Amino acid sequence: MDAGLLEQMLLGALLGLSVYLPLRCGQLSLATPGFFAIGGTVAALLSTRVPALAGSGSTYPITSVLLEMALAALLTGVLALGLGRVVLRLRGIYLAIATIALVEILRVVTLNLEFTGGALGIFGIPQPFNSAAGYAAFTLALLALICWLCDRLEKTRPGRAMAAIRDDELAAASQGINTADTKLLAFVLSALVAGITGVVAAHFLNSWNAKLGNFDASITTLAFVVFGGSRTWLGPVFGGLLLTALPELLRPVGDLRLIVFGAVILVGPLFFPQGVITPELFKWFKPRIGGITTAAAQGVKQ
Amino acid sequence: MNLLQLEDVGVRFGGLRALQGVDLEVKQGEIFGLLGPNGAGKTTLFNVISGLTAPSSGTVRWRGASLAGLSSHRIARLGIARTFQNLRLFSSMSCLENVLVGMHQHARQPPLAALLQTQSFRRRESQLQQEALALLDLFQLEATAHQDAASLSYGDRRRLEMARALASRPQLLLLDEPAAGMNPSEKDELRELIRRIRDQFKLTVLIIEHHVPLMLGLCDRLAVLNFGQRIALGSPDQVRRDPAVIEAYLGGGT
Ligand SMILES: Nc1ncnc2c1ncn2[C@@H]1O[C@H](COP(=O)(O)OP(=O)(O)O)[C@@H](O)[C@H]1O
Ligand SMILES: [Mg+2]
Repeated sequence: MDAGLLEQMLLGALLGLSVYLPLRCGQLSLATPGFFAIGGTVAALLSTRVPALAGSGSTYPITSVLLEMALAALLTGVLALGLGRVVLRLRGIYLAIATIALVEILRVVTLNLEFTGGALGIFGIPQPFNSAAGYAAFTLALLALICWLCDRLEKTRPGRAMAAIRDDELAAASQGINTADTKLLAFVLSALVAGITGVVAAHFLNSWNAKLGNFDASITTLAFVVFGGSRTWLGPVFGGLLLTALPELLRPVGDLRLIVFGAVILVGPLFFPQGVITPELFKWFKPRIGGITTAAAQGVKQ
Repeated sequence: MNLLQLEDVGVRFGGLRALQGVDLEVKQGEIFGLLGPNGAGKTTLFNVISGLTAPSSGTVRWRGASLAGLSSHRIARLGIARTFQNLRLFSSMSCLENVLVGMHQHARQPPLAALLQTQSFRRRESQLQQEALALLDLFQLEATAHQDAASLSYGDRRRLEMARALASRPQLLLLDEPAAGMNPSEKDELRELIRRIRDQFKLTVLIIEHHVPLMLGLCDRLAVLNFGQRIALGSPDQVRRDPAVIEAYLGGGT
């Protein structure tokens, strides 16, 4: 497989996880592309304007990328903390609309700011890796780390509280769960994942502009989770990988590919209303494969 | 001091007075019953106590301190747990997980230990799991521990709600029609069970139930609500003979 496509798929999986985190808590937030755009802008600005980060070698130092990631996480985290307190008072579709509005405001602001390069954006973002394979390896490690964190989250107290809120917020509050704080936690984690992903994407794409965090992106990333499922972290990872790859893999069939792509997104939820990857799937597989999936299935049940 | 005290509590929904001028005192350790026809305001009273509905007037006191303005999770943390008349289980979770969520308040562990799954983390988790299983056992739900809560029979779901409420180690347990949908023998067992958990967990129980014989046999004291007002209060014997109660239940004049 083309390493460039693999890298895009891995970035898609990361964005899927970002949408998944609030959704697992029952919150339909579409703010992911906004925080993704912030992460990308942070990386683009720092790596092109701060000479100290460039290092002395021929490639851009990875430590500088990690530093950008830390700063992007800090910025998106603080922003999400503030915005989340306000928008998370909204429920269901109202939250979705408010977060879309946030993303649009951010896009328009970026578009009109001098230092973000306006409509053209920022070019010549330095490369920490010489090849797409290098990016893919780095992103795979990042994805593995975040999957592991999500897995631990799901199996512990805050994860159980999130699932309880999704099932019945009022009943969850009656068990002593601080629902506002728990939803805020999910929202902030979502923003961190999106922000960090934006940093990697900016280097990979070499240029960055306001279009990368728009309404279309909100819907596409949501499709990752709707298709893959939001009951376990495997769902959005699967959805992100597959739905990013599909348009590319379908390229040989020409214009038909968009129709096929649309059909897949449409048919997925029709036949798998919970998404393709559900805990029930593990139960079904368990007696057949045993061993490996047993641990995963127990994790889902715990 | 009374464990729970309601002073002149009133609730309005638009023009409807769901509760008005309700005074009530619940003492530590008693099983206190709330009787009354449908729509009398019993569930609304529970909602006020548990912080889901703000009273339009009056005060609710817990160990003497007003609960005004406290959100429901704060009230739950004070030691007041409840079940819901129209069951509100976490339907995508197993029975065991439902009870584990009920333990939320005392299941806190250091985040780093949880991430790294340290030995002390795992020991504590399995302790909690054992505790949850013991609760399921108490309500004869041990066999369904790993089944989805949604797949249970109606009576089992009612018992699971009670197990989940107990999991928070409350001091006051509010039971909203726990026997609804149970058959007569299940109702008898439930009466014994409520007594047993009261003794075992040193609980105070406030219970709403329509089944009058069950209530008279179970409760230490009872209050009767009608059209949002307390029309009677006292021991089962006193309430049974109260003319206002007879009137409310049999529809006066006859
Ligand atoms: N959230 C609400 N909004 C409007 N009316 C309500 C609400 N909750 C309860 N009521 C009304 O208040 C009255 C008392 O209801 P409820 O407390 O459920 O009675 P009970 O539990 O004794 O059967 C009923 O007339 C009911 O329709
Ligand atoms: Mg009721």
